[in-house]
Amino acid sequence: MYQISDQEVDYILDDLLARGIETESLRYALLDHVCVMIEEGLCEGGDFVLFYHSALRAFYKEELREIERETTFLMQARGRLVLSRGLFFLLLFVLVGGPFVGYVIASMLRSGGIVSFQVWAAAVVYSAFPLLVLCVLYLTPDRLDPLIPQRSKVLLGVHPFIKIVSK
Amino acid sequence: MYSTELLKGTLKTIILKLLADNKKMYGYEITQKVKEMTMDRIQITEGALYPTLHALEADGLVTTETEFIGKRVRKYYSLSPSGKTKAKEKVKELASFIETMVSLLDLKPRVA
Repeated sequence: MYQISDQEVDYILDDLLARGIETESLRYALLDHVCVMIEEGLCEGGDFVLFYHSALRAFYKEELREIERETTFLMQARGRLVLSRGLFFLLLFVLVGGPFVGYVIASMLRSGGIVSFQVWAAAVVYSAFPLLVLCVLYLTPDRLDPLIPQRSKVLLGVHPFIKIVSK
Repeated sequence: MYSTELLKGTLKTIILKLLADNKKMYGYEITQKVKEMTMDRIQITEGALYPTLHALEADGLVTTETEFIGKRVRKYYSLSPSGKTKAKEKVKELASFIETMVSLLDLKPRVA
């Protein structure tokens, strides 16, 4: 069984930090995990660096930072409502457009099915600008640094009320 | 191996149930136990395990104790009283879900 030295422990800790594992408890948890893997899989006198990097590769899809991001996301999402970007915009469209639709329906019920031109015009004119703003926000591509990027999640809670988390 | 999507919703339940059955465990031990019990059909990735363990700890469902191994720190996870209740709830919920899926997908073995 391979015995990991203190220098090798320091090497792993420095490497994990350099790869974006900033949460200390997470870094130490990953350190212990990879150390056990090395101790069980590497023969005495084996190439530590080579084995460490190949073992670590199994921890992530694209980069190790994914684990840090996922941890941060799960911590932030605790006790909050998590919405996808699409669902959040749908909610905004409903909130913005809903009162105007309600206004038209109310006018329809009051006048027995016929909605006057003034009611239609007011609903269209007053709802057009906020809906257009929402459309622009929704359709802005990631290269233009939008308010809510394509792969982000929206967390709704009390403090803060809205939080955007890019995944 | 099952798809990540399929496992994602059951990870908390798996961890809570393992901790309920094994008193205290550390991360590597959890991954190995799952591999062993499922004959390699379920492999919990480190990228999924540690964020979930951190979230469970923050939610107060698991408690931790540390052991120093030279310069390393090994964190043992065990269920808190609320974690024990949650484990039972989650297992019950999953069992009911599986039952529903069996009936929905018509997976019951047919008697000739």
